[in-house]
Amino acid sequence: MSEQDRLVSRIYLRSILPLVKVLAEEKPVLKKAFPKRGVIQFITKEDGELGAAVVFEDGIIDVEQGVHVNPDLVITFKTLADMNTFFGGGMALPSIKGLKKIHLLVRILPLLLGLKILMPDAMPTDPEKRALKVKLTLYMITNALSQLNKGGDTMMGKFTKGSPDRIYQWTVTDGPCAYLRVKNGKTKAGRGTYTRRRPFVHMMFPSIDGAFMVLTSQVALVDAVKEGHVVTEGAMEGSKEIGLLMQRVEELVTP
Amino acid sequence: MSTQEKGKGLTWTIDDADHMTQAEIYGEVLTQLGEQNDSIVALTADLANSTKIGKFGKKFPNRFFNFGIAESNMFAVASGMASAGFTPVVSTFAVFASLRAGEFVRTDVCYPKRNVKIIATHSGTSFGQAGTTHHCTEDLAIMRAFPHMTVIAPADAYETAKAVTAALEMDGPVYIRIGRSFEPPLHKNLDFDYEIGKAITLHEGTDVTVIVAGRPALGALEAAEIAKRNGISMRVLDMHTIKPIDEEAILQAVMDTRRIITVEDHSVIGGLGSAVAEVITKYGKSCVMRKLGLQDEFAQVGYPDDLLHVYKMDADGILECMQEIMNAEIEEDDDWEDED
Repeated sequence: MSEQDRLVSRIYLRSILPLVKVLAEEKPVLKKAFPKRGVIQFITKEDGELGAAVVFEDGIIDVEQGVHVNPDLVITFKTLADMNTFFGGGMALPSIKGLKKIHLLVRILPLLLGLKILMPDAMPTDPEKRALKVKLTLYMITNALSQLNKGGDTMMGKFTKGSPDRIYQWTVTDGPCAYLRVKNGKTKAGRGTYTRRRPFVHMMFPSIDGAFMVLTSQVALVDAVKEGHVVTEGAMEGSKEIGLLMQRVEELVTP
Repeated sequence: MSTQEKGKGLTWTIDDADHMTQAEIYGEVLTQLGEQNDSIVALTADLANSTKIGKFGKKFPNRFFNFGIAESNMFAVASGMASAGFTPVVSTFAVFASLRAGEFVRTDVCYPKRNVKIIATHSGTSFGQAGTTHHCTEDLAIMRAFPHMTVIAPADAYETAKAVTAALEMDGPVYIRIGRSFEPPLHKNLDFDYEIGKAITLHEGTDVTVIVAGRPALGALEAAEIAKRNGISMRVLDMHTIKPIDEEAILQAVMDTRRIITVEDHSVIGGLGSAVAEVITKYGKSCVMRKLGLQDEFAQVGYPDDLLHVYKMDADGILECMQEIMNAEIEEDDDWEDED
């Protein structure tokens, strides 16, 4: 098992899989199909601890990290790399325990497929779907940056170690906001606007479409700034550094 | 021109200070304003040369009054002249204006809200070699406590010119404390906005804010440049007016940076740092704050620049404080769980 596989697994399990909750909120029709109760565990033989469980309870979906004590369905991949391939939309056959509850997998499948909107080649034209992709991407990136740090990534560790308390904020006008707080080796990804201090770097997207173009790399950052798709306030050096780390996240989760 | 040729007594610490010191500029500006405003009269207590108010006296001898070593009497007369419609500008050393004549400033000038302008030179530790008796590291605390008094501490000669002009345009008592040593200019010229009660942002930043008044301002700016090279974003606010203080700028700094360092050539008790802290507590804000200045002690005898260094009011001291404050906890923040 490579450290990179472990990092990618962390991002899939902790930054991407939990976005099924956002999808469920965005698409109430999916919620109607939720079972009253059920737990689906994703795990690998290679690492018995790095896993996540999708939990349905009273029509509410949640994602719990680690190993659930009482799962109904256990989906076990041979290796972390296999699990990463699966979440990345590729072919990797797991073993499944608890076939009697296989219907749970059917219930969650639309949500897992919905996450494919995060894939780089997903370029929806429908405005609602574009807005959804922007929201999920912002949430994913901020969380993934934090996971990089918590997972021991050298590049991210160098960035956060000794850092003063700093906020990196992303804001889409009339759209989603997310932030990353960094302080002396610690990180926290949050949703919305951090209000307790001014951001060290604030990337502001005046429109959903502009954010979509920038976040899907349809336009280079320099051109995006020139064309007004993004306005960056704060420390330029910090902006460059966080931009490079965002690229690193993209590289890691792109199959 | 040497110090001994130029001044009477120990007033300069370097040569050729004509166009650099705050007092020199003040003397020039006052003389120019005297040409435009007949009501201005100048008063001093045997310190015409040292405080540079003598320049005005040479130009307008009939509007210039030397009281000898009788500061208390001088302020009482200034109050009377103000009540008769004059605009008295009183110059003496800060230590005499605030301590020796303090009661008269309070009762004769501030209580009846007389239009008297006090230009107090040799403030803080700027008269370093003259010793502790001539240092004045309590005047901001004293003057700030007097109702009706406006208190200003310009950072350089250009600010002094602006402050003197602005003070003469307003009604009511004003205390302007300036230095006496070689104060390198903070500003390049007079081309900057100046308003009593409004801080000047000398350097933008988001990690920490240095709020400074008076001659340490240049060191704060230098510290900000060094900090920037080391990846720390330091805001520097030139809080030239201690009273009324710019609450908005302070609250914004607290909000934006959550770390505040105040720097003043004064005791940390009762001066700029206290004024800033009062604003923060008044609005119930939380932040990490440090006050640089004289830490409840009298200053040593020494060159003014050396004293700035000894008492951590220069760039080195500010940077040292910054290092310490950057690691301080701002709030309870044990929750580092990502939102998912």
